[in-house]
Amino acid sequence: MSNLLTVSLNVNGTQYKRTVEPRLLLSDFLRHDLGLTGTHVGCEHGVCGACTVLFDGQPVRSCLMFAVQANGHEVTTVEGLGTPENLHPIQEAFREKHGAQCGFCTPGFLLTLVPFLEDNPDPTEQEIREAISGNLCRCTGYQHIVDAVQFAAERMKA
Amino acid sequence: MKLEGEYVFDGPREAVWELVRDPEVLATALPGTQSLEQVGENEYVGNMHVRIGPVAGVFDGRIIVSDEVPPESYTLAVDGRGAPGFGNGTGHVQLFEQDDGKTLMQYQGDMQVGGRLASVGQRLIDTASKSMIQQGLESLNNALQARMVAEAEGTDVEYVPPTEAEFAAAVAKDMAGEMLPSRQVIGIVVAAVAAAVVAMVVAIVWLGARKED
Amino acid sequence: MTKKYLGQRMTRTEDPRLLTGQALFVDDVQVPGMLHAAFLRSDYAHARLKSIDVSAAKGRTGVVAVFTAEDMGDAWRPSPPNVSPPPGMPGVTFHSRTPVPLVKDKVRHAGEALALVIAESRYIAEDAVEDIWAELEPLDAVVDLETALDPDAPHVHDGLESNLAAHLTQEKGDYEAARDQADVVIKRRLAIDRCAAGAMENRGIVAHWDPKSEHLTLWDTTQAPIPIRNGLAALFGLAAPQVRVIAPFVGGGFGPKIMLYYPEEVVLTWATMQLGRPIKWIEDRRENFFATTQERGQVHHAEIAVTKEGRVLGIRHDFVHDTGAYNPYGLTIPLNTQSHSMGAYDIPNYYSDLKVVFTNKTIVTPVRGAGRPQGIFLAERLLDLAAKELGMDRLEIRKKNLIPPDAFPYEHKIIDQAFAPLIYDSGNYAATLEKAAAMIGYEEFLKEEQPRLRAEGKHVGLGIVPFVETTGVGPYEGARVTVETDGRVSVATGVGTQGQGHFTSFAQIVADQLGVSPRDVRVVTGDTSEFHWGTGTFASRGAVVAGNAINAAAASVRKKVLALASKVLDTPEEELELVDGLVRVAGLPDQSVGLGELAVMANPLRGAVEPGTEPGLESTDYFGPQYGAVANGAHALILEVDPETMMIEIKRYVTVEDCGTVLNPLIVDGQIHGGVALGIANSYYEQLIYDENGQLLNASLADYLIPTATEIPRVEIGHEVTPSPLNPLGSKGVGEGGTIPVPSAFAQAIEDALSDYGLEVLEMPLSPNRLFELVHQRDA
Repeated sequence: MSNLLTVSLNVNGTQYKRTVEPRLLLSDFLRHDLGLTGTHVGCEHGVCGACTVLFDGQPVRSCLMFAVQANGHEVTTVEGLGTPENLHPIQEAFREKHGAQCGFCTPGFLLTLVPFLEDNPDPTEQEIREAISGNLCRCTGYQHIVDAVQFAAERMKA
Repeated sequence: MKLEGEYVFDGPREAVWELVRDPEVLATALPGTQSLEQVGENEYVGNMHVRIGPVAGVFDGRIIVSDEVPPESYTLAVDGRGAPGFGNGTGHVQLFEQDDGKTLMQYQGDMQVGGRLASVGQRLIDTASKSMIQQGLESLNNALQARMVAEAEGTDVEYVPPTEAEFAAAVAKDMAGEMLPSRQVIGIVVAAVAAAVVAMVVAIVWLGARKED
Repeated sequence: MTKKYLGQRMTRTEDPRLLTGQALFVDDVQVPGMLHAAFLRSDYAHARLKSIDVSAAKGRTGVVAVFTAEDMGDAWRPSPPNVSPPPGMPGVTFHSRTPVPLVKDKVRHAGEALALVIAESRYIAEDAVEDIWAELEPLDAVVDLETALDPDAPHVHDGLESNLAAHLTQEKGDYEAARDQADVVIKRRLAIDRCAAGAMENRGIVAHWDPKSEHLTLWDTTQAPIPIRNGLAALFGLAAPQVRVIAPFVGGGFGPKIMLYYPEEVVLTWATMQLGRPIKWIEDRRENFFATTQERGQVHHAEIAVTKEGRVLGIRHDFVHDTGAYNPYGLTIPLNTQSHSMGAYDIPNYYSDLKVVFTNKTIVTPVRGAGRPQGIFLAERLLDLAAKELGMDRLEIRKKNLIPPDAFPYEHKIIDQAFAPLIYDSGNYAATLEKAAAMIGYEEFLKEEQPRLRAEGKHVGLGIVPFVETTGVGPYEGARVTVETDGRVSVATGVGTQGQGHFTSFAQIVADQLGVSPRDVRVVTGDTSEFHWGTGTFASRGAVVAGNAINAAAASVRKKVLALASKVLDTPEEELELVDGLVRVAGLPDQSVGLGELAVMANPLRGAVEPGTEPGLESTDYFGPQYGAVANGAHALILEVDPETMMIEIKRYVTVEDCGTVLNPLIVDGQIHGGVALGIANSYYEQLIYDENGQLLNASLADYLIPTATEIPRVEIGHEVTPSPLNPLGSKGVGEGGTIPVPSAFAQAIEDALSDYGLEVLEMPLSPNRLFELVHQRDA
């Protein structure tokens, strides 16, 4: 195809350089070009939040961005938080409190919560609920997710 | 949904009637028109490329004129289809001579939309369509005035129709004035409504766009 | 066998993978040479397809093929029905109409697929979809349930005389006689409208026909891989073992991922066999609103006959059920509605006339609840209306009519969704309801809190309803349990998993039988290569039916282990115990043999296996319940309404659930929370809105409001346990219980909160706008 652009970016601490079409979504780039399939696509119109990744440390909807917009930037996906053998405290909290059922929305929640907890180490329940009000979950009814965040906040303070 | 409204043209009724029967004016008055041909005594087909915001597509339209009573009134049936969806409707247009030499146009119509237009554009369809019609009629009014000036001075008509982008911007600004979710939503909705409504708008003013004799 | 793990709040074995993005979902599948598919879908809800021009699409660079119905030739036919039509029962009318792979002559709902584009990328495929021109002649659409049977209504299916898809009546006792004896008869019209399942993962398929090995592999977000495999094999002339269907991790099912067969499953299989290349299709969210099934649309004309003491003599309802453009799922949903229209009550007389109608809307198949919420809504609303009429307390009237605990098994004398007699197996409905009343503080609220808050000008209300839920239906499931040579245990079963924690709860069952840690039990679900007998995950049956099959298989393996260990340790079986992966002589911990060692010994390299025995420590067993176990529960909530904005706040939400024996309370809690969230959505936030042309007006998550964490309250859960006599584990299903009674409780609470307006809530869902209208209608 004509009009290919080069994009260089850092994802989870690794530098990547690829050639892509300008219209390639960041979510598709991460999932299919880089093989980082932990970021999930639920709606492609920016409502469900499943595609949330960190862009220079801030949560963004990767389905509403183009890969080329990430040129020169740092992206963190769920793969950058932890591994099954070495879970990030927030992942550990989700496991402890059964915050995930089907697991499809979960990476989006985790990436939303990491900066939230950094800025709000001691959140109230209402603050937690507002912080995750941009992430939809159809399985859990949110209760165990809120429990997990409270648990993570406790753990991370200590 | 119901569409109704009115517009005052700065010119006498006969001139308005003539204007809206001039295919060249009409074809250029609304940006994106790619073709327009008469295929029957009162039937026209055309297509229009619409690009507003993130939605773009070619709409094929069929217009049928009926109940003509020159220079007073007519009825239009419009059917437009394209990638973003479809729109069809019927409209009745009346022209009234005013005392001050101007012409009042009144229109009432009924329109149905489907496809992406319907499923994404719902909340703002009313506002968007009113605005688009207004902008279209304004554009025609400018064309009317240019024509009248040219006739009076014996020169060529100097009328530059709005570009697609200018048209869209004017509509968006209109709608932003009326109600305001994010611009992004307006853009999408305006785009979504564009083709169907434009077909309607075009139809309303495309009366008489048939060959003379 | 000790119950060490069953009933434990164990965290889930599968979570570390899911939480770190290491779990495979269908869109994560990459196969070399994979192509991508996109569909052209009709914008019109009802139209004739005159012609379709795909030449421009074919000519686009990167497009490999474009297929229409014509191209399919003899392979084009409507899918076989998902659920068989009723076996020639007298008085039942049933017209089966199933979906087609691609539209051939007529579009019957917006979103029906007209053409399939296969290209190098999804982006190119979508570009090419816009190159296709379909000449469609629009027809008037059938949208409203109540006018679908008018003589002048357009016909959704040309071969039929009308839009009637089915008609049947059910009766118990003699309702007319009951009515004559009643002191009070109340009649109302009740309406329930559609919702979407809204799973976060849309549907997807990767279809891979390998011509060299003559093998078809399908990764599919289905809840029922085995029937898909059998069905596709039959459709395409393959032997079942040539087809492997894998449902990997699936991002939520909730019902619609169990349609057999979605047009996409059929046409993509055909296409991969034509091209000999793997093809991936992933549904986008907008497609999901049209092409994935929906549920709930019904209108009831109902009446209840009661004595002045509040005893219900009978219930009658004539209702219309909307099945959408086709009815592949038969009568399951409306039969479920009938099964639940008497609620948890002992109602001696019942009459129901059911008509199912075709409409030009998306196909209807079960969504979590599957017709049960509508039935409970009917029963509970009628009881509330009766209570009001008689001036009775709403708990009192319910307690008067509940099925008493000694009346089980209770035979309802009507048939259920399996066309078998409806029987409730066990339960203590009064205890459940009383517990919920105690937990919500019913007495205190009505006597003290509510009057106090009302004096302050607040509009608060309480709702409390009992409910039943048919679960754990057959036909059967199966499982294979194997002790591996490293001492770990493998389990395979046919049901799929969409978040219910099967990998953990099933492991807990095996762990207790074999004395191992659940973390050493590896469970595989949803892969027909691993296990190919069974049906799927639906109707709150996974844990009950598959769980019991696994229990049976594990018990069989336990027997083999003991028999072999007895020889090896030269000790009678009764003196042996299975603990920590070992078989030990009780009281003599040094005398033991590891399970892994035994597994090796059970598979001899020399010597023969004795006749009548099998190598290894493995067993396959099946479980099929006589009929479905019936769970029950009660929900209670307190909410506040702002009468100016009509926004609501749920102050407290209480559920009491009796699902028999609980396998893992952590997982059960999660299921209840999620179920209640959907129930709240069904009550106040979500509604699919169609216009008179069959256009879905809110086909995006921006306009179809799935509740967020700020709308769903904390749910307090209490449990009652009446084990089911229908299966060895004593379990009943719980997947849908959270959803079923919510709209009923909600309606009662809203009426209570706005009691000064004298509202009657006879429809679901409500919304702030609608509530505003209802309140102001009363004023006018």
